[in-house]
Amino acid sequence: MLFKLAFRNILRNRRRSVMSIGAIAVGAIAMVLFGGFVAIIILGVQTDTVRRTGHLAIYRDGFFTFGSGNPAAWGMQGYTQVLDMVKQDPVLAPMLEVATPTVSLFGIAGNFAIEASRTFMGAGVVPQDRDTMRRWNPYQLTYNNAADSGLDAADPTKGVVGTGLARILGLCEALKLSDCPPPQAKEKLDTPVSTDIAALADSEKSANAEPVDTRPHIDLLAATAGGAPNVINMVVTRADRQGVKELDDAMVLMHFDLAQQLLYGRGEKRAIAIVLQLHSTADMPAAKARIAELIRTRNLPLEVRDFIEISPFYGQVTGMFGAIFTFIAAIMGVIVLFTVVNTMSMSVMERTAEIGTARAIGLRRGGIRRQFLLEGWILGAIGASAGLLIGIGIAMIVNRSGLTWMPPGQSAPSPLAVMVDGMWKLHAGIWLGLMVMTTLAALLPANRAARLPVVDALRHV
Amino acid sequence: MHRRTFLAAPALLAAAPALAQTAPIAPQAMVAAADAIRNPGQPFRVTSTLTDYVGGRPRDKVVLVVFAREDKKTGQFNNLVRYVEPPRDAGKLVLYAGSTLWFYDPASKAAVRISPQQRLTGQASNGDVLTINMQRDYKAAMVGPEAIQDADRQSRNCWHLDLTGGPDAVYSRIEMWLEQGTHRMVKGKFYSDSGRLLKIAYYRKYIEQLGVQRPSETILIDAVDSALVTTVGSSDMRPQEIPDAWFQRDFLPRLKIEG
Amino acid sequence: MTDPSHAVRLDAVEKTYEEEGLRVTALAGITADIPRGRFVMIVGPSGSGKSTLLNLIGCIDRPSKGSVEVAGQKIAELSDDALTDFRARAVGFVFQNFNLFPVLSAYENVEYPLLLLGLGARERRERTMAMLDQVGLADQARQRPNQLSGGQKQRVAIARALVKGPSLVLADEPTANLDSANGAAIIALMRDVQRQHDTSFVFSTHDPQLMSHADETFSLRDGKLVGHHVAEAV
Repeated sequence: MLFKLAFRNILRNRRRSVMSIGAIAVGAIAMVLFGGFVAIIILGVQTDTVRRTGHLAIYRDGFFTFGSGNPAAWGMQGYTQVLDMVKQDPVLAPMLEVATPTVSLFGIAGNFAIEASRTFMGAGVVPQDRDTMRRWNPYQLTYNNAADSGLDAADPTKGVVGTGLARILGLCEALKLSDCPPPQAKEKLDTPVSTDIAALADSEKSANAEPVDTRPHIDLLAATAGGAPNVINMVVTRADRQGVKELDDAMVLMHFDLAQQLLYGRGEKRAIAIVLQLHSTADMPAAKARIAELIRTRNLPLEVRDFIEISPFYGQVTGMFGAIFTFIAAIMGVIVLFTVVNTMSMSVMERTAEIGTARAIGLRRGGIRRQFLLEGWILGAIGASAGLLIGIGIAMIVNRSGLTWMPPGQSAPSPLAVMVDGMWKLHAGIWLGLMVMTTLAALLPANRAARLPVVDALRHV
Repeated sequence: MHRRTFLAAPALLAAAPALAQTAPIAPQAMVAAADAIRNPGQPFRVTSTLTDYVGGRPRDKVVLVVFAREDKKTGQFNNLVRYVEPPRDAGKLVLYAGSTLWFYDPASKAAVRISPQQRLTGQASNGDVLTINMQRDYKAAMVGPEAIQDADRQSRNCWHLDLTGGPDAVYSRIEMWLEQGTHRMVKGKFYSDSGRLLKIAYYRKYIEQLGVQRPSETILIDAVDSALVTTVGSSDMRPQEIPDAWFQRDFLPRLKIEG
Repeated sequence: MTDPSHAVRLDAVEKTYEEEGLRVTALAGITADIPRGRFVMIVGPSGSGKSTLLNLIGCIDRPSKGSVEVAGQKIAELSDDALTDFRARAVGFVFQNFNLFPVLSAYENVEYPLLLLGLGARERRERTMAMLDQVGLADQARQRPNQLSGGQKQRVAIARALVKGPSLVLADEPTANLDSANGAAIIALMRDVQRQHDTSFVFSTHDPQLMSHADETFSLRDGKLVGHHVAEAV
């Protein structure tokens, strides 16, 4: 009976009810679409991040907090055993896509033929593993498909640098980059040449001359973990644009073996990190817990970190979008609140005489309140449901429309998509949230209706 | 870091007197003898003049006073270097104690540690060459007699030795040419862990300093940045009593050197 | 417990309220007993306090001073919810403007009080249909109030007021919006019910036709009881 009464009262002023339902529905639509859009963006950032850094990294205990300025001092002893332990563990093995060792180091990169040099940040990776990691794509996002890494599994002397570093080291033309700077005018000394010094230097040069190689080379100098100066020569196969300028001006990606050679020299060869990429991000908490358990039970001086810790950008993007979504949801909620309060207040005012009559006949205050709350609730249910369905429908149309856009940090357009599958938590949340909002909104007018003095209400025409 | 960092004068440890022999002695003894030529066996001071050449043209000149003393316990040589010229660097100090390098600027009264990464290039890298202790840190093997040209393009009969660095040695390998008989260092080639040639050194202008013929000029050629050459001239070598405190980092701000 | 002799007992009942800062006395001490099972009229010029008195008797308002007892129940003892429940059981209302629920059909309007009492579906159905029959609107059961004439609407209202068998029915100007033919029909209807169920009726009215049916009349002026006339028994 109560429902029947509530429905009929809602239908009484059709236009007003439709407007309220419309406002609620628009709120639902906006959040379905925005929520789905954000979800895709975050999955895109996740895909990028996991391709680059994997899901988890195992370091020597303390490296993550203290060691990034001096990786040489934080090498993992016996890293091959740790690698085997991870690959053979019955819990981890089925979750694992790839487990690979890496080295990071600092030093000076130089093209001394033209007297150009700069400090560099180096990463040594295993090329085959790196290529496997770059193919990770469980969310079927079609942008930024992995090219090869630029390294050669068979030839450790080959490597890749950032485009900024390539320009600074004068490799611009050799690597066919655009925006090559004009050749630097060399510092002209006008002091007379010291002939014996010059002759000595020249004779050494010719004695030590190496066969001419037309490929672009750079020298990489670094101090070994033991503190000795070390230098290797690397063939630069290409320059890759890095997302961040500081990285672009300093990045050198090299073969794991070459990096180990440079960083450890004659000492014991270690790794700085063991990087793990899983099949699915959902397995990450379990994998991390398992690794922590292994570390604990075997008393290893190691720590494990996940990509959210390692890549603050991911956390920042997720956080920012989360904040924006919350903000938009709050605004929608307030609009819904105001609309419903307004609608119901008008309804209460118009039905003052009826309220008085019902009270006189014997309906309790609580009964009046319940009546109006129910009407608000029904408005909310219809509005939220309609909004959800329409929103999902629009999302599906957008997904099939073939529209594209350029996400930040990408260099190629990607399809404009709104996540709908598997978003049930978002959708349920939107529905419930709007329901709560409308019921709350109806509470104020409902209370007012309930507290109307009967006599005054009846006096109302 | 300041480009013109410390450059220690040729100074070292292992106090064995110079030997003059005609028959070949054991290679390790030879390098010990070579070390002894550069080391007076007592605390001393010496004035070092460093000149940078780029493409054969002189560019920068620095004058330093070096105070050196052997730490009897470790056999390590400690060096305290004071800048004299150019005037804008005058008074700056560099402390080389053990394997740690400290730089002190009286203007800021701050002592800064120079890490191995910061000693890869520039004058700090030359310091590693000049302060090697061959006898202590390297194992010498004989390659054979060889006649090579010295820095003045004179042919000299030398013993060609191949030195392998221990775990703490700066260079993983050194090729050293010692003059036969006198065991004077004529030429050295210094290699990194990767096998690449890092530095070439020529030793010449042997003059009497503190009673022994010592090289008063070392020519250092950078094998990586091949345009760079540095000459290190040493003069006015005299004995000097050096208190322990001078080699402590905390004492640097209070250091008063006269003369 | 129910006092069989009186529908309503008023004892020194006063009602004052604030209006724009001024204290207004609507009723200035009314003491009266209203017998049960009678057609009782409350008459007086406008502003005399008729409506106020009716509200107090109808238990939809409380006196500022004095006591009101309806069907043996002292209303001062009851909380608001208890008072509401009491009204649901014992008091029926007929309004000048009919006050039917516009979204409900005639049948549903009449059924409404029975829902408040929590009666079962079958009993509700029986009593509602019987009531509609009695007021002659069985055929209009499904029609909404906006489809009924004034007379029909008032009959629905009466059916609604009576369907629960109240002890007391209050009617404020029940014939004011009806023509004389409908008015007569309504009055006859109420008389029937009064006789059948011994229901007490309290009216406030100007209608001479209705007043001519009064068993007892209370006259009010300026909030005071100035007259009490009992008609001769018929």
